[in-house]
Order: sequence, then C-alpha cells, then structure tokens
Amino acid sequence: LKDNKDNNDSSNNDNKSAARLLVVDDDPDIVQILQIGLQRNRFLVDAFTNPEQALQSFKSNASGYSLVILDIRMPELSGIQLARKVKEANPNVKIILMTAFEIRGNEFSKVFPSTAVDGFVQKPIGLSDLNKKVMSLIGYPKERISNDQD
Amino acid sequence: MNNENSNEEEDELVIKWFNKEVGDGENTILVYPNLQIFRQIYTNYFKDQLVIEGDKEEEQEENSEGEKYNKKNDDSKYNNKQSKSKRRIILVAPFYETTVSVKHHLQAFGVENTQRFVDDGSLVLVDAYQSFFPDINGLKKLIDSLSERARKEGRAGVTAIVDMGPFFMFGGDGSAKQLINYEASLAPKTQDGNVKGISCYHRRNYDTLTKADKEEISQGKRKKLFEVKERNSSNTRSSA
Repeated sequence: LKDNKDNNDSSNNDNKSAARLLVVDDDPDIVQILQIGLQRNRFLVDAFTNPEQALQSFKSNASGYSLVILDIRMPELSGIQLARKVKEANPNVKIILMTAFEIRGNEFSKVFPSTAVDGFVQKPIGLSDLNKKVMSLIGYPKERISNDQD
Repeated sequence: MNNENSNEEEDELVIKWFNKEVGDGENTILVYPNLQIFRQIYTNYFKDQLVIEGDKEEEQEENSEGEKYNKKNDDSKYNNKQSKSKRRIILVAPFYETTVSVKHHLQAFGVENTQRFVDDGSLVLVDAYQSFFPDINGLKKLIDSLSERARKEGRAGVTAIVDMGPFFMFGGDGSAKQLINYEASLAPKTQDGNVKGISCYHRRNYDTLTKADKEEISQGKRKKLFEVKERNSSNTRSSA
C-alpha cells in the first residue's frame, strides 16, 4: 500500500448514497484490511498510512466525508491531533479512534472535551463489528438514502 | 553492493554503536526511520546480547531429549547458567506497537521461547506511554530498580531502549517543553552507572522538533546521537 490514497474502488463508484470514509493507520496491513472490509459493505473508502497526506486529502473534500477512522498512535501526527484538525475542517464528520492498546481514562483525559470523538474501537476488531459501529454512527444505507431524498 | 549486504552492514553499525560507542552510565539518542527498522534494532541487539551460542546448543538438546531447561543440573550446564546470570537486563518500552507485538517479533525473528527471558528477568517489556504518564518519572523509577537488581544479581548492566513517542502524542509546544525537560533530567554520562539509556525517536517525530529543540534534548550535543538510515526496500517494508 502506498502513502497515497487507494482510489481503486471509491472514485469509480457511482452510488450516490454510499458514504465516504477516511481510514488512517500507520500499519499498511491494517489499513488494507479495513479498506477492503469496509468497501465490501459498499462504503467509499480513502485509506492512508501517512496522516499528513490523509489530512490534505480530507481538507480537499471535507464536506464529502461522513466518518473517519484514525489510529491513535501514529508518528508525526497522532490520531488525536488529526481528529482535532479534521473536526476543524468539518465539524459534522464522525470520528472513531482506534487503538491496539488498552483504553484507559488517563490517556484521554487530555483529549476531552476539546476533541469531540464519537467512538473508540480496540484492535483487533472484527470487520463485522467495525461495520456495525460505522453504521450506528452514520446510519444504515437505507436510512442514508431516505435522508438524501428528504 | 546488493541491498541485502548494505542492510546487514547497517545492522552491524547499529549493534557496534550499542556495544562500543554507548558506555554504561550514558544516556543517548537514536533516531529510527520507521517501525520495521526499530523492530530490527531491538531484535538484533537482543539476539547479540542474550541469545548466546550456549542457548542454541541447549535448545537443540532440549528438543532432542525432551527435557526442560530448568531440570538440567549437571556441572557443565550449571556453569553455563552461571554465565547466563551475568546477562544484561534489556528493557524495551515501545510506543507504536504493543509489548505483545515485541515478543511476537522477537520470536518471529529467531528468538526461541522469548518468555523464558522474561521469566529469568533478562527481558523487561513495558508500554512507553504507561511508563511516562501519568507519572513522568515512572520510567526512571523502573530503570533505577532494574539497575539495582542488576547489581544485586551480578549482571553486566541494563540497556533501556525507550520510544519517546508518548511526548509527541498530543502535539503543541507544551509537549516539546515536556520532552526537553525530561531529556534535560537525563545526564549524558553518569559516573559508575550501569545503565545504557537509549532514547529512541521515530524520524517523523524527530523532524517535527526545531533545531533549538534538538539542541536542547541532546544537551548541546553532549549526548551521543545515532541516526539510523532508511533501508533499501528489498527486505524491509516501510510503514511510512
């Protein structure tokens, strides 16, 4: 997987009801697995291993994204820092932070309430559970279609 | 020169730096280009220090005889154990991977039965974040206790390989100040010290520091600095 987003699927998808997601993790294997797993659920997924490049992509189309999934521990720009910048660019976007580490209160006491995060997931997470988590935050496909029509 | 050879030479340079350049009682700085190379660094050092030839022979014997390591009690084996008791204690405090992942990588790259090194006190694995926060001096206290244990057990000393990633997690000038204060509390050289302290920086974190910050954390270059090169990609994979 390259640093640049993988556009194989998302740019060609003409399903207007499909939600666009941003996935950022410095582990290329994890990024690839999440991308494939979410695409199977008909999400449009832009995936990055480099958080700075992910931010640039997000800023170029901030209103186009429904949700971002960010690894917390990344060099140069952590998931927490990236979440803040993403929210600045689009306050409506939903954010899920992801970590392989035990989630303890003290790690996030500095983060809240300054950063509005919508959910946490602990790696390893099953793709089915992750898809459910995403849909619980942005709605199921039918709901999204209905909202678009409203 | 092919890629594999140049990567091996780079590995040897790092080990040489650990063994020859960094003395006991010194606190130093190492910059690594990505997580894969950080893994290679601690794995190669660990193998160099702790997996001695005697271990390999013993493992072969164990496999052939089906005997457990701690059941061996003949004189030759006893002597071998004596030499093992002089092993350094190696502390690895990762930030961009879990301690379970460190054990997994050691095992995957040829360290058989990593757990026995944990059990005999030669390998100590702690999460860097949990070591620094909420008590910024938590890691120092742990290293002090390991240093004392090494002396009591007659070991060669302690090597602390610590990822400084936690200081970069929240961003902002405050974090740099916190890092500088922490590094300032680590003397470049302590007389009669038995700890080799290696503060490890991911290249992408290190590059976010200003020139003045870098100057301060190295205490005006009084701390030794080793910048590990990016490897040729034939046998390493970049996380960047």
